[in-house]
Amino acid sequence: MRRELLLLAVLGVVAAMPVAAEAPAGATACAGCHAPAGRDLPVPTLSGRTPESIVADMQAFRSGSRPATVMDRIAKGFSDGETRAIANWLASKDHASAKP
Amino acid sequence: MTARALINAPKTARKGDIIEIRAMIAHKMETGYRQGPNGQMIPRDIINRFVCTYGGAEIFSADLFPAVSANPFIAFSTVATESGTITFAWTGDDGQTQTATAEIAVN
Amino acid sequence: MRQPSRRTVLQGVAASGAVAALGAPPAIGQAQSRVVVIGGGFAGASCARALKQEDHNLAVTLVEPQTLYTACPFSNEVIAGLREIEAQQFTYDGVRRDGIEVVHQAATGVDHAARRVRLADGAEIEYARLVVAPGVDLRFDAIPGYSETAVEAMPHAWKAGGQTVLLRRQLAEMADGGTVVISSPPNPFRCPPGPYERASLIAHYLKLSKPKSKLIILDAKDQFSKQRLFQAAWQELYPGLIEWVSLSMGGRVTEVDPSTKTLITEFGNHEADVANVIPPQRAGAIAAMAGVADQTGWCPIDPVTFESKLQPGIHVIGDAAIGGAMPKSAFTANAQAKVCAAAVISLLRDRKPAEPKLINTCYSLVAPDYGISIAGVYRPKDGLLAEVEGAGGTSPLSAPASVRAAEAVYADSWFRTITGEVFA
Repeated sequence: MRRELLLLAVLGVVAAMPVAAEAPAGATACAGCHAPAGRDLPVPTLSGRTPESIVADMQAFRSGSRPATVMDRIAKGFSDGETRAIANWLASKDHASAKP
Repeated sequence: MTARALINAPKTARKGDIIEIRAMIAHKMETGYRQGPNGQMIPRDIINRFVCTYGGAEIFSADLFPAVSANPFIAFSTVATESGTITFAWTGDDGQTQTATAEIAVN
Repeated sequence: MRQPSRRTVLQGVAASGAVAALGAPPAIGQAQSRVVVIGGGFAGASCARALKQEDHNLAVTLVEPQTLYTACPFSNEVIAGLREIEAQQFTYDGVRRDGIEVVHQAATGVDHAARRVRLADGAEIEYARLVVAPGVDLRFDAIPGYSETAVEAMPHAWKAGGQTVLLRRQLAEMADGGTVVISSPPNPFRCPPGPYERASLIAHYLKLSKPKSKLIILDAKDQFSKQRLFQAAWQELYPGLIEWVSLSMGGRVTEVDPSTKTLITEFGNHEADVANVIPPQRAGAIAAMAGVADQTGWCPIDPVTFESKLQPGIHVIGDAAIGGAMPKSAFTANAQAKVCAAAVISLLRDRKPAEPKLINTCYSLVAPDYGISIAGVYRPKDGLLAEVEGAGGTSPLSAPASVRAAEAVYADSWFRTITGEVFA
């Protein structure tokens, strides 16, 4: 019985450790301006956004079809592939933080 | 060549005083050793000669070379001998000379 | 999931050593993995939090002598009377809540061989990797006449706090018709557009409260950050109020006389009613003590990991670091901190750190409702951080007032977001 408890305790520690996906290049910088959900600030949160909508916005910023103050200048520094990776990572963070 | 030139010399001095004279000209002092964005060498363009005269006589001169940094600043001392005009002249690679003058009263 | 036999579980425990029982992840593979971060500003506090977020089982110690942090961004608004100093101040409670050990001591030395940081009280902390983020020190030796005591007569206000409040008080006490002189340092220095934002907001105050006054900027440079935007805005908002004297116009301050508030250049003296001397700078003192600063006074780093090029095992981030095109801003410090944290974790796990990309965004206020910005995207290239071509740049030179107003709103939003991420 004691042995089983020990075993469960060890497994518990292992299971509680989230395997955080490594942030793709550039991804962690977004949080400098974009706050987590619930802060209600003029710069919109990226939390809760689908990867597709983030990628579409970044393309629109890059092409100039969506007006911007700084995002047009920043979006031009990232390729479609890089933007996609960042968008996926941001969404996966949502998923991780939604878990209890 | 029309560059901004700054000079600093005392307006008054006593005869025999050692006075400090300062001169600076706004100039990029392009060395001729740098590449432009297109990979071509940027042609040399420097101030290559500086002359200072006091009452018509040369009291200081210098040849300048590409190692001298932008906005060359020159300071030197001389002896106040008589009231008159101190003249500064900078000559560039383009052959043009820019001058500036200062008056000094010596008593 | 296949039920592990008792034997495999025990083997697993044995392989990862006693660490597993303490809760450290087997991936670290090392007992007592501790990362020590020196400096609790935007760089250091961000890095400590990012380390802890990436690996909750990693022991992280933040060494910072102050218990209250006073942020520099927006402190020019405090000087101009638009904001109170309390809005700039943050405690380390949030950092502590993350499980980071915060030690309010000055670091006084680093023993490379033993991998230990020495503290002012004589205690020592062992580290697996060290992150140095001390910000800047002001070079009081660089301007004859200026000193640590002269800052009372001629405040620098380049580290937010008492100096910020002092400069504000001096401006408030100045009579209408007075002359304010700002001495701006040569590159590189903390917050490249800062002196010009300060000049703008002081001009805003003078225009409203002391309209016969004037402001002179004596500069050790011929160019400055966001120059065209600032100069166009000055002409528009404060015509005739601000005079900028560049290096080639004789603007470099070579000496000061605090007793008469006189700033001396090669070509003339400027007697001020309020004198703000922003001296040349170098990396904070602990950088030199740790052997990570070179003869320039700054710390060369590897652009992928932010590991010092002079001392393996020690990383340098924020204003103290130098290595390419990134300007010394709070945004840069925060972005570098997170990249550095990821690299430190990779290195502790014997993995190759990923090639990063970094962003800087920096807002300046020319007036409370008039914001301008510069942004850049950076990546490692030839051992330095280089700007990604085609990206970045400043706000447009001509833009409607609505765009300037929007950027002022975003500036404030940025400050609230970043200070939330770093300290809340």
